[in-house]
Amino acid sequence: MSATEASGNPQATAGGIGIANLPNQLHKIVTKKGTNFSLMVVGESGTGKTTFINTLLTTELIEPLDDATRRKKQLDKTVDINIHKAELEEKMFSVKLNVVDTPGFGDYVDNNDCWLPVVDFIENQYEQYLRQEQQPVRKGIVDMRVHACLYFIRPNGHTLKPLDVRAMKAIGARVNLIPVIAKADTLSPTALRQFKKRVMDVIDAQSIRIYQPPVESDDDNSELRNREIISAVPFAIIGSTLEVKTEDGRRVKGRQYPWGVAEVENDQHCDFRKLRSLLIRTHMLDLISTTEESHYDKYRTTQMKTRKFGEPKPKKSENKKFREEEEALRKRFTEKVKLEENRFRQWEQKLIAERDRLNKDLEQEHNLVKQLESEIEAISNAGSPNNKFFRK
Amino acid sequence: MKEGSGEEQNVAPSVYSHVSRPGSHRYKSAKKGLPFNVMLVGESGLGRTTFLNTLCERVVIPPHEAANCEQAHIAEPMQFKHYTVDMEEDGMKIVLNIIDTPGFGDGIDNENCFTRIQEYIEVQYDNVLAEENRIKRNTKFTDTRIHALLYFITPTGHSLRELDVELMRRLGSRINIIPVIGRSDSLTPRELVLFKQRVMNDIAANGIPIFNFPNSDDEDDEESVEENAELRAMLPFAVVGCEEVINEEGRPVRVRSYPWGVVQVDNDEHSDFDRLRYVLLNSHIADLRDRTHNGLYELYRTEKLSGTNIIAGSAAATNAAHVAPAAATAGSPTVQPSMLPQSHPVAA
Repeated sequence: MSATEASGNPQATAGGIGIANLPNQLHKIVTKKGTNFSLMVVGESGTGKTTFINTLLTTELIEPLDDATRRKKQLDKTVDINIHKAELEEKMFSVKLNVVDTPGFGDYVDNNDCWLPVVDFIENQYEQYLRQEQQPVRKGIVDMRVHACLYFIRPNGHTLKPLDVRAMKAIGARVNLIPVIAKADTLSPTALRQFKKRVMDVIDAQSIRIYQPPVESDDDNSELRNREIISAVPFAIIGSTLEVKTEDGRRVKGRQYPWGVAEVENDQHCDFRKLRSLLIRTHMLDLISTTEESHYDKYRTTQMKTRKFGEPKPKKSENKKFREEEEALRKRFTEKVKLEENRFRQWEQKLIAERDRLNKDLEQEHNLVKQLESEIEAISNAGSPNNKFFRK
Repeated sequence: MKEGSGEEQNVAPSVYSHVSRPGSHRYKSAKKGLPFNVMLVGESGLGRTTFLNTLCERVVIPPHEAANCEQAHIAEPMQFKHYTVDMEEDGMKIVLNIIDTPGFGDGIDNENCFTRIQEYIEVQYDNVLAEENRIKRNTKFTDTRIHALLYFITPTGHSLRELDVELMRRLGSRINIIPVIGRSDSLTPRELVLFKQRVMNDIAANGIPIFNFPNSDDEDDEESVEENAELRAMLPFAVVGCEEVINEEGRPVRVRSYPWGVVQVDNDEHSDFDRLRYVLLNSHIADLRDRTHNGLYELYRTEKLSGTNIIAGSAAATNAAHVAPAAATAGSPTVQPSMLPQSHPVAA
């Protein structure tokens, strides 16, 4: 504005030069380009992650596993990373959505370090982006950086488990962490309130960093809504893709019990709508920009301080289970090598023995030849007068 | 501190009180009451405490005192906590001893939880074994052997977790395990049926020995066989704990209230709590005690004295239906008969 004032043009001070039209231009560009959003869900199996995603997107993006696959998964005792991709389109605006699932997290008797694959995945995405940025040709960068991570807490009604605390600490330092209370339809309203307070107390006391949506906004309505959203953290959710009929005849998405219907989209029953608003309607762009600006930037800074431009990332010490496998493989390899060496040695021994034997034969023959030679000499000497043989 | 059934009717009358089981009063109701020891095992938050309070109809275990927030990242080790409650059921006095295990499965690595529980159970057997072998025995010996272990399963809706399978597999041949689904009000009726099926499939697939209401040989009347089959089909029991008592049509009803409805704890369509209570304190209390003494304890004794470990093949051996009433053959020691006195039931 100061530029137009300085120019002294009376028309400019009244109408401006049109900078105010920039948001519209941006809108057109963004609408055409679409956007890319990655959401990660972390939590023990059976907490409703798959159902939640399918409820959120109103489409069955992730298929529930069948029993045989589940039983097999239990035996391999690892945490997998599964990526589901989808493209959503609504009113000419498209979003490339990536949902990252983590089956096996916290499911076993020994869950030590089960959050490491999750953390590694997050950091690898930053690494990939960093490397791509440093390439000479930067078109077509694949951006899989995680913009939000939903951590599903089991509703045990008491407090956070030590596993939750340690995992959330590690994850929250690297990505926008949003804690969620799973299967909230098993806690009464009082119990839920107490549990939420307790979870927030532990999060504060343990300095776990969670996503804080910005409160300030242009209009009061949004500000009020933002405050409501913040006060509901951690979000208590119920997921359901089925439509059921309530007692008063409405058809809603919910869970039907003999004693009533727990509705998904009812704010008195759960916080699903608030969470959906946070993830999609109101704060998706904020999630994306905080990921890019603060989390990714932090990673980039720490990496660039220690590494030169273009150098690959040094490999950290790996998962205990991988180390064990590596040890086992190495042992097998050395054993095989030993076996082969033994075989060669034996072969060598055999050859040497063979050679000695042949040498001995040769020597025998040689001796025989010598003997015969001396006999011949003796006989040839017998012909001379000094022959002792014929004395007798 | 007796549980008066006449003074305060704070429970809807049990619909099964007309079902009388022949033989359930096999043991003389001693003046002191029949000792019945039950262990509750399950991850925290599955409703063990509430279940016990609901079972005894009063607050036996006080609400959990939350630990310090700053200590939340450290797992508390598992503890064994004892509670004793005098109960009266159908005229029979019972001294209910409860052993709770807070801290089970709460750590990051829970491998040692199983061994600790197994040791605990075996120590009780060892005490009885030692007592049996004493020259001068204590007639007032209290039997601390655990008659039943209620294992609370998390209602994931999928199937058993590794923790569940491991625990039941390791302890099933030492103790009567009754699997129970905690917080079962998080599953819709259809989900509950599927979950129960899957859990039982998992149990069968892994060869886990649980207390599946075997028919004892000397009681083969239609009614009890049918009842056992019915109970077997109900396994694992889906329980819900009571949080409050409200007044409905003038009668007090135990419920859990939600914004979308009210769960009635004693209503058979809402939960299996009532049936489980009847099984534990009335219809199968004798069976459970019997199987512990004549089946599981004898197996332990044989193993311990012969120095062998026949746990691996014991899945068939602990099928109490074949072992329990033939106590004579199971009781006679197979090794070193000269050293030991004849086995004599210690529990009255």
